[in-house]
Amino acid sequence: MKINHFKALMLVLVAALTLEATSLTQYFFSQNVIKEEASLRAEEQLEVARNRILDVTNQTEAAVRNSMWIAQWCLNVPDSLVRVCERIVQDNPVVVGSTIALVPGYLKDKPLLAPYVYRKEDGSMQRLSLATEQYDYPSQEWFTRPIELGEGYWSEPYVDEGGGEILMITYSIPIRDENGRVAAVLTSDIALDWLTELTSSFKVYPQAAGIILSRSGRIMVSPSPDVIMRSIYDFNTVLKDNEGFDALNQAMMGGESGNMEVKYQGVTCHVFYTPMEHTGWAMAIVIPDSDIYGALRKVGLIVKLLQLLGLAMLAFMLFSFIRNQFKYNELELTRERIENELHIARAIQMSMVPKVFPPYPNRDDLDVYGQLTPAKEVGGDLFDFYIRDEKLFFCIGDVSGKGIPASLYMVVTKALFRTVSAHEAAPNRILTRLNDVLSNENESNMFVTMFVGVLDLPTGRMHYSNAGHDAPLLIGNTGAGMLPVDPNLPVGVMPDWKFSRQETQIDPDTTIFLYTDGLNEAENTNHGQFEMHRVMELARKLQTEHRFEATFIVKQMTDAVHRFVGDAEQSDDLTMLAIQYTRHHEDLTYQRSLTLTNDLKRIPRLNTFVEEACESNGLDMATTAQVNLALEEAVVNVMNYAYPKNKTGNITIEAKANKSELSFVINDTGTPFDPTAKPEVDITLSAEDRSIGGLGIHLIRQIMDHINYERVDGHNILTLIKNLA
Amino acid sequence: MEVTINKKDSVTTALLTGRLDTPASQEISGDFDNLAQEAAGTIILDCSKLDYISSSGLRLFLSLRKAAAAKGGKVIVKAINNDIRSVFMMTGFLNLFEIQE
Repeated sequence: MKINHFKALMLVLVAALTLEATSLTQYFFSQNVIKEEASLRAEEQLEVARNRILDVTNQTEAAVRNSMWIAQWCLNVPDSLVRVCERIVQDNPVVVGSTIALVPGYLKDKPLLAPYVYRKEDGSMQRLSLATEQYDYPSQEWFTRPIELGEGYWSEPYVDEGGGEILMITYSIPIRDENGRVAAVLTSDIALDWLTELTSSFKVYPQAAGIILSRSGRIMVSPSPDVIMRSIYDFNTVLKDNEGFDALNQAMMGGESGNMEVKYQGVTCHVFYTPMEHTGWAMAIVIPDSDIYGALRKVGLIVKLLQLLGLAMLAFMLFSFIRNQFKYNELELTRERIENELHIARAIQMSMVPKVFPPYPNRDDLDVYGQLTPAKEVGGDLFDFYIRDEKLFFCIGDVSGKGIPASLYMVVTKALFRTVSAHEAAPNRILTRLNDVLSNENESNMFVTMFVGVLDLPTGRMHYSNAGHDAPLLIGNTGAGMLPVDPNLPVGVMPDWKFSRQETQIDPDTTIFLYTDGLNEAENTNHGQFEMHRVMELARKLQTEHRFEATFIVKQMTDAVHRFVGDAEQSDDLTMLAIQYTRHHEDLTYQRSLTLTNDLKRIPRLNTFVEEACESNGLDMATTAQVNLALEEAVVNVMNYAYPKNKTGNITIEAKANKSELSFVINDTGTPFDPTAKPEVDITLSAEDRSIGGLGIHLIRQIMDHINYERVDGHNILTLIKNLA
Repeated sequence: MEVTINKKDSVTTALLTGRLDTPASQEISGDFDNLAQEAAGTIILDCSKLDYISSSGLRLFLSLRKAAAAKGGKVIVKAINNDIRSVFMMTGFLNLFEIQE
């Protein structure tokens, strides 16, 4: 799979979304669980507190009720009322003070009577009369309300001005005389300081606080002392950033229980509240949001950090993976590109060696077959052949080394062979020219072993020169053997090396077999080599069977070497070239000869000779005129260049014809002069750029079908051939 | 081989008669030198009586053509026979000269 940056980004995004969704879900459920837990704990606390408070209020109520009958009884003995109060305070630790206040005018003699007993800090009892003018107890709430209601009544909280300024509430109950008339009000005061203590046990959460509201909405207990006794109804106006208190107040004052979220001074708080019987109070636990969810938030933060870390690592891994992948892809691409280029190089190299076989289907004097198999994609072997002026130029070579360096050298060598041999017919001079170029600035120290041969097709005469290459085999009617070769250095080794030229006569039906050391040094899996004796064995076998066909010999050699090598990898480039010479001379139907001195005045005699030869062999007048021109050009050339000025020499012209061609052989003993080696004139140039010379040989090439030059035994032999239709 | 030269105003006409082979080319090279003096004008080589031309003759033609090109004149080759036409064709001379029938 290939990953790019976009895909990687998507992958990271999907991972991030999945993680976020998971943690959100988890957070949501955890929150619910935690809230339920908080709710349970708050309710539990509220229940505990409620029970404690009920305990106290019940005790108080009970203390008062239990003293009702005695108070009733004591009405008749007003002075003993104070002792009733004393008993109540004494017997009930929760009660801090008690009074029996008589309805004004109940006693004729004492219009106001309200003895009061309270517990001092040291625990002793202190009597006091509330019947003072300043206090005016009959107008006090604790006195009027129970009489109005006709039953027990819990007062609103108030600050005891007489004692230690503590917050107190009072339970009052009307006392009736035996006639059922309300005679007095019996009260018990209880201090509320323990409520603060009680609510401090609400610290199930560090910042949790208890609130107790009175029936009318006064704050009895609160963590902030400055709000004590203030009404919750003016609370909103006192503090800023408060939200949700209206609904909370309404619910709590309406006697409901439940929980609600409010904002107190900008802090979100959860309020759990419940009403109280008897007193009509409302009690609440306030827990800041951070107390309940703090741990969860912290965990959430840690989880988020871990997620980010994980995502960062994922992203890092993905991107480094992509980077590596890019690197890998680049390597892969480079490898593919190099392979492609090698394929192309192979194609180019293969296109440089002849590959159309048979190459000369219209010739009956020659057949050639060659094949080149590089060990690697490209190789350093080469072979080439072509016919110029009735001469077969051929070569085989083996560049030192293998692969690309060898192939580059091979290409240069092959191109040079063609270029040089275009104007040079002597194989040793071809090698010399190649050597000049290749050994010059040969910094890579490469060289090429090479055999160059020039086979004169009309005569079967072969000139050759061997630059350190394996000697070719000659396989023909007279036997199979190696062509003797001089020991020359390979091309490219030493500048100015003089390559020797050798010469031999190739008999008809003889095949010249050339090869590179990829044949005799082919290795099998045991590193055994094919070796020359096996090559020779096969050559002799072919000779005895009279199988001289070029294709057949190469195929036989290939098969033999393949059988020997077996499954082993080809160790070296393998190249074979077979040239079968099959010229048979047809019977001559015409033969004349003319000898001229090197005097231009003799040209008309030549014209007569040529015209007669042409006419005798059925050429038309136009063709005759052209052949005449060609011969004149050739002979004038010899006259002008073969002999020094003022030196007389002979030129012999022989006209020969068989059924298929008319040939003129111009023979002189002058200085070696090869007109076929002259460069072609460019007839497309303008008059200014055209050179004056070279027209003669150009005309000869245009007019004649074949032109052939040989230097044999001190003679220049130029043969001009015109095909007979 | 004979060369007959006629000059009228800026037009010089040379009538070539016979075979212009290598020896003949040597014979008449002086005539072509004279013709080259007139190369600023128009030179007409009348080939109506020319039977044959070899490369030596072609060289004379080409030298004259070069002289004309240098002096701003022109060379017109007139009335060549088929043999000579084919030689002109083989050597690309058809493109170098203005040919008149």
